[in-house]
Amino acid sequence: MWLRISLGILIPAAFLCAQGVQNPALTGEAVRGKVVAETNPFNTEADLQQGSALFQLHCSYCHGSHGEGGRGADLTAGVYNQGGKDPDLFKTIRTGIPGTEMPAVRVSDDEVWKLVGWVKKLGSAGLSEKAPGNAAAGQAIYAKNGCAGCHRIGTDGSDLGPDLTDIGRRRGLAFLTESIVKPDAFVPNRFRALQLEMKSGPNVSGIRLNEDDLSVQVRDVAGNPRSYLKENIKEIHREKPSLMPSYETRLSKTELGDLVAYLNSLKGAQ
Amino acid sequence: MKMNKLGIRLGAIVFAAAMVFTLNGQAPVQGSAPQGPVTFDRLLKASAEPGNWLMYSNSYNSWRYSGLNQINPQTVKDLHVKWIFQGRHVEKFETTPLVVNGIMYLTRPENAIYALDAATGRQLWSYEYRNPTRTYNCCGKVNRGLAMLGNTLFMNTLDMHVVAVDARSGHELWKTEMGDYTAAGGYAAPGAPLIVKDKLIVGMAGGEHGVNGFLDAYDTKTGARLWRFNTIPQPGEANFGTWAGDSWKTGGVTTWNNGSYDPETNTLFWGTSNPWPDYNDDTRLGDNLYACSVLALDPDTGKLKWFFQFTPHDLHDWDSTQIPILLDTEFQGQMRKTLAWANRNGFYYLLDRTNGKFLTAKAFVKQTWAKGFDDNGRPELIPGNEPTPEGNDHTWPGVDGGANWMSHSYSPLTKWLYVFAREEHRVFSKNAVPHPTTDEPDRPLAPGALPNAGAYDPALGGAKTAQVGAPEESWGKVIAIDPATGNLKWEHRVLTPPWGGVMATGGNLVFGGTLEGMIFALNATTGDRLWTFSANGPVFASPISYLANGKQMVSIPAGDLIVTFGLD
Repeated sequence: MWLRISLGILIPAAFLCAQGVQNPALTGEAVRGKVVAETNPFNTEADLQQGSALFQLHCSYCHGSHGEGGRGADLTAGVYNQGGKDPDLFKTIRTGIPGTEMPAVRVSDDEVWKLVGWVKKLGSAGLSEKAPGNAAAGQAIYAKNGCAGCHRIGTDGSDLGPDLTDIGRRRGLAFLTESIVKPDAFVPNRFRALQLEMKSGPNVSGIRLNEDDLSVQVRDVAGNPRSYLKENIKEIHREKPSLMPSYETRLSKTELGDLVAYLNSLKGAQ
Repeated sequence: MKMNKLGIRLGAIVFAAAMVFTLNGQAPVQGSAPQGPVTFDRLLKASAEPGNWLMYSNSYNSWRYSGLNQINPQTVKDLHVKWIFQGRHVEKFETTPLVVNGIMYLTRPENAIYALDAATGRQLWSYEYRNPTRTYNCCGKVNRGLAMLGNTLFMNTLDMHVVAVDARSGHELWKTEMGDYTAAGGYAAPGAPLIVKDKLIVGMAGGEHGVNGFLDAYDTKTGARLWRFNTIPQPGEANFGTWAGDSWKTGGVTTWNNGSYDPETNTLFWGTSNPWPDYNDDTRLGDNLYACSVLALDPDTGKLKWFFQFTPHDLHDWDSTQIPILLDTEFQGQMRKTLAWANRNGFYYLLDRTNGKFLTAKAFVKQTWAKGFDDNGRPELIPGNEPTPEGNDHTWPGVDGGANWMSHSYSPLTKWLYVFAREEHRVFSKNAVPHPTTDEPDRPLAPGALPNAGAYDPALGGAKTAQVGAPEESWGKVIAIDPATGNLKWEHRVLTPPWGGVMATGGNLVFGGTLEGMIFALNATTGDRLWTFSANGPVFASPISYLANGKQMVSIPAGDLIVTFGLD
């Protein structure tokens, strides 16, 4: 099963009701001479949406438009090496990470807080949602359709598609559903499909691992990393961005709901 | 989940309407077709695969010899850079890459793994293990390489873990904690592990931190520990009692480099480090077994077969963590199964590897501390070489020794051993030593050391070892040694004592690199320099050679780069 990563995330009502503290407690730690609030004071829906827009402007170049990572860390993982509490994230965004490519983001403190809210949302999109389907039935559908041929859950599966071990925490229900029925809608760069039409010998299908002017590196559909000189390739086809087929007509509505419920249940190590 | 994965993958792929792509096992561009997983049988016969580099020293006898001969005295003048891999890390490379079926696997500081196309250097995948902010490595946040079995790579970490990673994807398969890295003065594991049968042999470091050393074996499938050999005999074990008082509890004796394996006798050979405190022996009178020794172990059980202690009661930090070189040679008219060892203490040794019997020893650098050896190989000491409170500056070799961890090489063509040796002397000082577990629980770093730099902490080692002398009083030299006699056949001098190893090849060349970043090829028969490249980054590693697209390549780290050379 191939899951795309998209922005199609439903903001659950319960989350929206979790309004922040107007006079937050202070940590006592100063960032650039200012004491940082202990909890995010900007956590309304409007703040979140502003945070999303700020993220696209200041962060998406490195972290991906959907937080999927790239030059910067994958923010959907919900794992923050500099600390995951609100003040930690504020400091990371405010001052950058010395010795790395992560710069200080040049926005106001209020806007930093809005970015904090959106970044945390990216890393916990599925936690506040509970799918209505039958997860056990969905697990059987996952097995029957051979999803493990491309995806990994824990130590089982393969690496042609995104790791699903904690996909139920990373992604919301709408995203999961759309990923199954419209897998080409969004594909992270590290899972973009290629078909290499060779000048001689068998052609190759796989996902793109790396590329330069002279060569391209792919993981073929058997899971092996390969490298090819472009002088030996007649044409590289990129028309179909995902290796995953659509399951829109392959699964009934009930089966789709059950599969989404199973994926929603995958929260990873707690 | 039981299923036909291949068929499912095929079924899951959507092709463009008029185009049919077929599943295939096409080989990478480099031309070395996949030969399947790395089995133990392949490791046993590694020298039969000169196109690959399957383990740290290339073969279990640790010759670090490449049988490839396209690059030779006639062609080496045309050698040039094919590609460079940029580590983009503040720490230098000390790794020996593996090359398997056209893919190069290497470790980058601190504990990252990269898989590259060995022909172009292009990255296929990467894996990064995150250490805690502070680790207790003595000498840089470095790692020296990987081991591989099946389709799994194995790496030691600075916070005392062993990790197994899928060589096809970089996915972590398991992680095992060797021990508490914060215990005593701090443990670390910067070396490369070694596969023997289905076991992963793993050493550890911390000889300057008052640790209690060991060598471990782990199940390559599960990461479960199978045996541990205590390098300091514990109460009730054989040879306990060679340390005064309780000094054995914090005696160091680590296993921080790689080892060798003799399949004929099913014996694992591994060197051990210095005793602790390094230079202050007030509390550790005795021979301090098994410090500064080679251990011969049964790899199935971890039981000791024999040991040989090169430097009893060491006072100069002369670790015996050089990599054992196994070779058969004629000695006094008889063919012997031997172990050749150019030791940090400045002497070349030849031992019978079936029983540890001392055969001969001869200095390969200037030395001032031993006038000879008894029949058992115990050195007869020259007084006055001990560290002193005022500082002893007339003992040769220095604290970094005549040899250190960098690899030596043996060529079956010349039948000589090649060593990149260090000529220098230093100041050996005897200071008061804080106890690692009781005196300074927060283990403060040396003045001026960065908190997270993993800085060498002389306060814990108990000595000040400032270098003395002008450049002309210390230098490096590649030497060719007749293993049966220890006689030097030639010497090639370089400016500075080196931190890089050497590799002999079937092209009758010896490759290496200097601290100034001069990468060179010498004629293995004469020692003449035939080729030089200025990488301008310090070489702290040893070269390898392999085939890409059927062409011989030579790779060597310099600074934070991996530089790879080829002919065309």
